Amino acid sequence: MNEIRDHVISLLVSKFDVPAEMVTTDTTLEDMDLDSLARVELLVTLEERWHISLTDDDDSSADISVEQLVQRVRDLVDGDAGEQGRPA
Amino acid sequence: MNGPRFAPAANQTAVICGIGTSLPSDVLTNDQVIARGALDTTDEWIFTRSGISRRRRAPDEVDTGDLATAAARAAIRSAPPGSPAPDLLVLATTTPDRPCPATAPEVAWRLGLGQIPAFDLSAVCSGFLYALATVTSLVRSGACVAPLIVAAEKYSAIIDPCDRNTAALFGDGAAAVVLRPGQPDEPGAVLATDWGSDGSGSELIAIAAGGSRLPASRQASREETYFRMQGRQVYAHAVRRMTESARTVLASTGWKAGDIRAFIGHQANQRILDSVAERVGVNPRHCFGNIREVGNTAAASIPLALADAVASGARRPGDPALLTAFGGGLTWASATITWPDTTVQTIQPDATGQSLQPDEDNAS
Repeated sequence: MNEIRDHVISLLVSKFDVPAEMVTTDTTLEDMDLDSLARVELLVTLEERWHISLTDDDDSSADISVEQLVQRVRDLVDGDAGEQGRPA
Repeated sequence: MNGPRFAPAANQTAVICGIGTSLPSDVLTNDQVIARGALDTTDEWIFTRSGISRRRRAPDEVDTGDLATAAARAAIRSAPPGSPAPDLLVLATTTPDRPCPATAPEVAWRLGLGQIPAFDLSAVCSGFLYALATVTSLVRSGACVAPLIVAAEKYSAIIDPCDRNTAALFGDGAAAVVLRPGQPDEPGAVLATDWGSDGSGSELIAIAAGGSRLPASRQASREETYFRMQGRQVYAHAVRRMTESARTVLASTGWKAGDIRAFIGHQANQRILDSVAERVGVNPRHCFGNIREVGNTAAASIPLALADAVASGARRPGDPALLTAFGGGLTWASATITWPDTTVQTIQPDATGQSLQPDEDNAS
């Protein structure tokens, strides 16, 4: 979980120029002034890094918080790992 | 036609030897677009989300065929003296003059090109690169020696001025290139192409009415009559597909991203272009475009941006260049070329009513 959280926070600060002190677990994407295209760009970047597929409509909602996004990525990463780990 | 008409030389490919453009003279600023559609937005909002400040708009009496004819005439004029007359015309467009027949044969006739094969190619914003992939194969096979690709659009005919999602993005314009057989080490050579499609996303960029599914004869709603685009979903697909396609064509060519001296992506949105260039690994100083001045001209976007950069002497002939596009369909395509060694000619479009007469015989 920490690795995903660290990645999300680092992306918000380095790629989207959000001040580090502004990024808390409860901050929403809208609070950080990420417009609709920036939110999609964030999702595409997370998809590439974690090899997951995020639903553009739901997951790029303006009121999703950092913690909710981290959890969503975690669930998808765990789900994929579970699928792959399942015996044939 | 049975088999090749001309025996192709070893390693023969298509080489761009003439470039022409045609843009309507009327400029529409963001503020004018906002006023026209009573849009709830601002110049700053449009620019920060798209990189677009203004676009060209053709008057009612100028259609896609007029723009195509002017750009094609300019490209033929740009080709070296003594070049053979075009022996194939491919018109990439989303906005043909009529649903039937194709616009290309009439453009060929207006150009005085005789009875050459001429057809429309419908791949929305990937249209020019789809056409480039097509004619490159035909040149390599020996089926033609002087193909003419024209990319022309009149999006003002299909855009809802009251739709905030699209009204500010699109513009009218046309560009054309003349090609000839040549070798891969020549300036203007097409080295590799990549193309693909995914019809599961066909609803994301569409005009619902006017085809066999919802004929124009039935009463269609405003929503069904105009061009519609799901911007956020398209952004994600465009970034993924253009990045993958660009990487594929670079690998086919044997180039690394660091080799690229010119990157021209489909001028849909500056933020998409920046995102793709970053992912592919192209240095920002090697990215060229004119989206700020002309907006998204769909199929005409890549050749208009290429013409703009060639006209300004942005790169030396022979420099490695990467072109990539994404559009409705969904479709995408990429090409690697060497920077062309040609001038760019520009001709203003004439209205059909004034010029629906063929040029003097150019077929010989």
